[in-house]
Amino acid sequence: MNKITSIILTCVFVIVPVLAQQSEQSAKHRQASLTGGHLTVNYSTAQPGVRFAPLHIYIDSGNKSLAAYQFELKTVAGQIKIAGVEGGRHEAFKEAPYYDPAALAKDRIIIAAFSTGSVLPKGRTQIATVHLQIIDSTEPQYELELTVAADADANEIPAEITFEKGEIK
Amino acid sequence: MTKRKENFDENMDLRVSSRLSTDLNALFEPQVGVPAEADRAVMDKAHKHFAAMQSGKRRRLRIHWGWRIAAAAAVIVLAFSLDLTKQPEPTTDNLSLVRAVREPPLQAVDIDRNGRVDILDAFKLARHIELAGRTEKEWDINNDGLVDQKDVDVVALAAVHLDKGV
Repeated sequence: MNKITSIILTCVFVIVPVLAQQSEQSAKHRQASLTGGHLTVNYSTAQPGVRFAPLHIYIDSGNKSLAAYQFELKTVAGQIKIAGVEGGRHEAFKEAPYYDPAALAKDRIIIAAFSTGSVLPKGRTQIATVHLQIIDSTEPQYELELTVAADADANEIPAEITFEKGEIK
Repeated sequence: MTKRKENFDENMDLRVSSRLSTDLNALFEPQVGVPAEADRAVMDKAHKHFAAMQSGKRRRLRIHWGWRIAAAAAVIVLAFSLDLTKQPEPTTDNLSLVRAVREPPLQAVDIDRNGRVDILDAFKLARHIELAGRTEKEWDINNDGLVDQKDVDVVALAAVHLDKGV
């Protein structure tokens, strides 16, 4: 009897987690973790037909040093969800920028960051990467609006914001 | 031949005498006689007793297995009721900070008093803190008695809030 009990309990404790894990994988689209300011997006758990695409954001401040920026990104066509936000390549904006966590899994987000360091970028700089989940087959169209850009003295400067689509996975 | 005949009398009577038979029967006869009714009654009672034991044993076995199955089912239900599919919310420092502090009024986070809450408010506050310059008490946004990076984070998060009024 004790042997049978052990077998039953062992089967229960093995089968239940496996079933739970299978149901978790079927409901999961992507997994992201934020470590040290850099976002790592794992696309391996995506469902078939769901695509992920990074959107690289650039600000061109001309010959002025860029110390702070804020922009808004939204979708005007297609169906997407924002999966995550990553910092830029320059040392000043390497850390993940500020954004509203409520924007995740939506199609609109406000992103901002600043740097009080002495080494600031000039010219065209990649300041952030937004990871998007493309839900339908329609090619999404984005609207990008630069709210403010400023130099080291917190004075507003003219700047141009653009984006580049990364490799779709 | 004569001696053989004397030793083996083939005409000997081998029957037991009646007296010997009577004595032997008396020797092995039961001393107390058990009436047939009493014998039947005892047998009936014994049958009933052992039958009850058997059914009780079966019942206890059923109950025993029932508890085991119920325990296994409870474990399964508990495992699924824990909602393992539920994903944890992003645990960034920003999120935990926002949750730890009640959302301040927009006027409180408009550091430069230009009527607009944006990243420049957080930037100016951060510059003030880094330069260890004059800091206003009203810049203690999270009311922890200090004007520090946490207050800067609160202002920055207010700037990127999707549903901000200003």
